[in-house]
Amino acid sequence: MRLYEFEGKELFARCKIPVLVRRVAKSPDEVYAAVSEMDIPVVLKSQVLIGGRGKAGGIKTAEGANEARTAANQLFKLKIRGYPVASVLIEPRLDITREYYVGVTIDRANYKLVVIASGEGGVDIEETAEKSPEKIVRKSLGIEQDLYPFEALAIAKKIGVPSDLLKQAAGIIVNLYDLFRKYDAKLVEINPLVVTADDKLVAADARVSIDDDALFRHPELAEMGVEKRHEEGEMTPREQQATEWGIPYLDLDGDIGMFPGGAGFGIMGNDFIHYYKGRPANFMDSGGGPSPERIAKMLVLLDENPNVKAIFGARFGGISRCDDFARGVIMFLKDHGLSKPMVMRMTGNNWQEGVRLFDEAKKTNPELFEKIEAHGIETPIEEISKRVVALAAQEGGN
Amino acid sequence: MAILCDKNSRVMVQGITGGAGSFHTERMLAFGTNIVGGSTPGKGGQKVCEKPVFDTVAECVEVTGADVSAIFLPARFVKEAAIEAIRAGIRFLVVIPEHIPIHDMLHVRREAIERGVTVIGGNTAGVMTPGEANLGIMPDIAFTPGRVGTISRSGSITYYVADTLTRSGYGETTCVGLGGDPVLGSTFDEILVKFENDEKTKAVVMCGEIGGVYEERATETISRMETPVLAMIGGIYAPPGKRMGHAGAIVEGKMGTAQEKLDALAAAGAHPCRTFTDIPKTLAKLGV
Repeated sequence: MRLYEFEGKELFARCKIPVLVRRVAKSPDEVYAAVSEMDIPVVLKSQVLIGGRGKAGGIKTAEGANEARTAANQLFKLKIRGYPVASVLIEPRLDITREYYVGVTIDRANYKLVVIASGEGGVDIEETAEKSPEKIVRKSLGIEQDLYPFEALAIAKKIGVPSDLLKQAAGIIVNLYDLFRKYDAKLVEINPLVVTADDKLVAADARVSIDDDALFRHPELAEMGVEKRHEEGEMTPREQQATEWGIPYLDLDGDIGMFPGGAGFGIMGNDFIHYYKGRPANFMDSGGGPSPERIAKMLVLLDENPNVKAIFGARFGGISRCDDFARGVIMFLKDHGLSKPMVMRMTGNNWQEGVRLFDEAKKTNPELFEKIEAHGIETPIEEISKRVVALAAQEGGN
Repeated sequence: MAILCDKNSRVMVQGITGGAGSFHTERMLAFGTNIVGGSTPGKGGQKVCEKPVFDTVAECVEVTGADVSAIFLPARFVKEAAIEAIRAGIRFLVVIPEHIPIHDMLHVRREAIERGVTVIGGNTAGVMTPGEANLGIMPDIAFTPGRVGTISRSGSITYYVADTLTRSGYGETTCVGLGGDPVLGSTFDEILVKFENDEKTKAVVMCGEIGGVYEERATETISRMETPVLAMIGGIYAPPGKRMGHAGAIVEGKMGTAQEKLDALAAAGAHPCRTFTDIPKTLAKLGV
């Protein structure tokens, strides 16, 4: 998960990587108050979890507090690649003479950490890698290895850092590498690392991405207000609701509610819908042996989504049993009710018991089942996918 | 023949006294897996399903001759448990839990390579050699002995593919769950080589998904293989930058798009399949 720039810079400061004085503001008035106190020309930087904010007009400069408020008024109305700006980072404006790139990431194919540096900072490193790979310096290390200052100094030298700044640059690179290991990072980037007019190195931006699965051992991040989030962009209200219920869920732009079993088939099932010219309204991972209560909640998410025209349900009872699945569906039908047509297929462990539970519930409350088409192993999952696409079209979907 | 595990494997369970450990020990035994014991620190001397429990992996190995281990422990304990198993002489290790910290898996992988141990997972449903050994949490209902091997990053896809192979009469030699985590103990190419060397395996179905680089890493191996490889990749229409259920299933920047993976595999000579029904059709065309 990605940290906001201001959070990344807080970690930089803790790891002795030079950053500027910083203030974070959540409204134009807060911006005004902060800049009044700072009383210097400033830069206002929109805080979003996605790249390309500069091009989208998300960075503005201001001479003083009044100008800053006017600029902030515009920033807080902005959507950067679809995402609203909830906070702004305020920093002193800098005179910059040179920009470098320094980063650490994981080379997953080779199971190594890799330090990446370039004499061209302030641009997308992937672009530099494509256009002029000779401008990029890489050094691979095992996770157990330290990066020594002499090695970092050699990297700094290769990207053209002048002699008088070499020791400082080496220190920054070592500290960045140590931060990467200390905080279970997946990616850390200083882009750009700048030389200021008074000949000092400063991290002008911070991109830090932390391994969600290692958050448990970094209570200091939670204290900073860092919580689970997407790698890119903020969560929708429904995604937040699902996260609270412990359900991996994403909103997509289609009209077929997806309730497809494990994550793997959750991903592939969405492709199937596309192959048959439909569009999923969501991704959901309902695997891992969910309880009936959890299954009922998943259906609530889909049924209450106004974009959903029809629901696709599938269960291959592996570790999760079909009878539990059936109990969950019945619980949902009784407690909440289904307002949209649903096609489902159930097979795998205990499917006979699942079918029996359905038949029994249907006998007592046939009206609850009016919108459900249930299939078993005899119907290939591809047919179920086609059928739900047809149903969504009938309901007036796109 | 089979790869990784068969009826002669001497299997132990790390975390055998826990809820998941004891539940699946019973299931694996009922299938016929040769489970010889297990370990839980501080619970040495107890029994689970009549099998002896030891405080350490080393003791279990010494007394029972265990050579394969399945870890059923919370993710945060996996690093230590895996390194303990690797150092105790386990030759094949299955990491069932999901969401193992990435840095931990880098340590485990390094230790495993140094000592020549094969690790699969995290977040794997395990390994199934139909009729011989079920190591992990797969439902036996989908499987039958046969002549096609499978490798998948997902449990549910393994079941759908095995079910398809079973019902179309091909059956399976061994089904390997590579795991859904971002950094895995083994890669597609390492398992593909084992299938290539297995006489009974006449074709391999490999199922990848968005995220990471393991599918791309397999291309060189596939281009050298005689055994045909069928490839399915999930997430052709996946949005970028959003994790999809599995910790490792996420398109990050330019890394990990499904279409690029599929194109790379096809260029290396793999046979792309869009849906499960394409699998038996492709196998028939290849004369498997």
